[in-house]
Amino acid sequence: MEKPIVQIDNLTKRFPVGNSEFTALSHLSLTIDKGEFMGLVGPSGSGKTTLLNIIGSLDTPTEGSVEVMGQSIATLTHKQAAILRNYHIGFIFQSYNLLPVYTVFENVEFALLLQNLSADERKKWVMQALEWVGLTDKAKSKPSQLSGGESQRVSIARAMVKRPQLVLADEPSANLDARNSHHIVQTMKKLNKELHTTFIFSTHDEKVMQYLDRIVSLKDGMVEKDEAVLHIQN
Amino acid sequence: MLAIQLAIKNLLGAGLRTWLNVAVLSFAFVVIVFYNGMLDGWNRQALKDTREWEVGNGQLWHPAYDRYDPFSLQEAHAPLSGEVVSLVQRKQLTPVLITQASAYPKGRMINIVLKGIDPDQQMLKLPTSLLKEDSGEIPALIGKRMAQSARLKTGDKVLVRWRDKNGTFDAREIHIAGVFDANVPSVDNGQFWIPLGNLQQMTGMENEATLLVAANTHTVQKTGIWEARDLDFLLKEFNEIMDSKKGSSKVIYFLLLAIALLAIFDTQVLSVFRRQKEIGTYIALGMTRAEVVRIFTVEGSAHSFLALLLGALYGIPFLAYLAKTGIPMPKSAGEAGIAISDSIIPVYSAGMVVTTILLVVITATVVSYFPARRISSMKPTEALKGKIQ
Repeated sequence: MEKPIVQIDNLTKRFPVGNSEFTALSHLSLTIDKGEFMGLVGPSGSGKTTLLNIIGSLDTPTEGSVEVMGQSIATLTHKQAAILRNYHIGFIFQSYNLLPVYTVFENVEFALLLQNLSADERKKWVMQALEWVGLTDKAKSKPSQLSGGESQRVSIARAMVKRPQLVLADEPSANLDARNSHHIVQTMKKLNKELHTTFIFSTHDEKVMQYLDRIVSLKDGMVEKDEAVLHIQN
Repeated sequence: MLAIQLAIKNLLGAGLRTWLNVAVLSFAFVVIVFYNGMLDGWNRQALKDTREWEVGNGQLWHPAYDRYDPFSLQEAHAPLSGEVVSLVQRKQLTPVLITQASAYPKGRMINIVLKGIDPDQQMLKLPTSLLKEDSGEIPALIGKRMAQSARLKTGDKVLVRWRDKNGTFDAREIHIAGVFDANVPSVDNGQFWIPLGNLQQMTGMENEATLLVAANTHTVQKTGIWEARDLDFLLKEFNEIMDSKKGSSKVIYFLLLAIALLAIFDTQVLSVFRRQKEIGTYIALGMTRAEVVRIFTVEGSAHSFLALLLGALYGIPFLAYLAKTGIPMPKSAGEAGIAISDSIIPVYSAGMVVTTILLVVITATVVSYFPARRISSMKPTEALKGKIQ
């Protein structure tokens, strides 16, 4: 049996707030297998983003263990965490986080620059990623010239261009209208099927949830419900 | 390399803010090069002129001679020994006899210094060949400053009164054989140059001198009673003036550079605060915090490279034009008593330009690094949200 891509055991995360501490995640355990298209749902403050940040090695657990692709997040150095993110994890943010002075092409290319790929390879990969999201004609545009939906598709292309094993999407549809929300989730679903990339969403958007194969509901930093979703196909 | 690529892109993407900083820094760069070039040009020109017109390759002084004490002249003379005469004959030294006197141009009395020099000498640039006239009168050379202050011109006659070696006053009419134009005030102000033989005869100091000027081929060393005065000694005051000028000019560089660097520092601080989301994104995409610090530092220091390019764009034609035409100096500049020509030709040495470039680049890098260093203590999760940390 294949090793899970994310293995979380008894995770607790506390943040200092003034003189006391706030517990964002409490004794949380979760196993996520390769190729899943799953979502973390729950109200604000339930710990969704904190969990994504820890899985993405942007933060560390206070207690418990989190292993991503067999690497313990707690023991990674800054350099090792950066390599993990650069080669294996893609991020999609609610507010896209595109670099404003770069073109669409350059924004997508950025992750590859860090991998020291040749210019020809980078161009090939970037154009392919833009093709996945249907934005080859916008390669030379600046983020300020794009709509919200287009910006999020660039963000998806940027996350996918390096063909990571894991993509973490934090409220990817929060700033989008219904049509664009469906469009971007459909795009991600397609990439999940074609490239077997694992997608973990944090969302409370019903439109996103209907595409998920598994929904983990969080409440007060704990897993309230973990259920597989059966999609009935016409 | 990646840091440079990204930094240049970010910098150019920042638009007007970048160019304002770059313009100020380039101005500081050009002014520093210009000012240093002007001082170097002045320094070289003045040293060359002073050597050519006055001090030669060093001097031998009578032990009693003090160039700042006119009273010392009464005692500061001695006959030339055989060894010295031999050097004079081999054109390695030229003797100068100095005595105090009074001149009476147009009925006024002015104190002067009479200097006797061999009309055939070629060590100093003084046009002493004009003293070789055979009119029966004593010819004299004066500088343009002396001519102006005494209202004398070539062909004029002026009564001169002096004391001989026994202290007896004597007087005679002297004929102005020529007016020379020297950039060295100390061979001009208050001085009459007459043939050495005449002055020796007038003062009764046959075969005597106060000092001897060395030719470029001769290195001065103590000879008999004559004390060696090398160039370091003779140019000490001038070098001190130049050092003090350079010191004060450093204040100007510092102020200019400080303004430019403050602008960069300010931009960097602002960037680190305003671009938190971008910093978080860099980290999320796989950069270490140290790499992000490097991007921001390179970005700040890249201001200096753009400033060098911009400075070169307008600075090279400007500085080259000045190097060709020179910088005109006011007529009164020479009255200050330091060697200065009508126009200074700036000299831009490679060493000076490279030093200035390094100064600008290194200081810009340092002021860029300090605000950027803050990134290393940022939490990427907070940065991604754009929260000020």
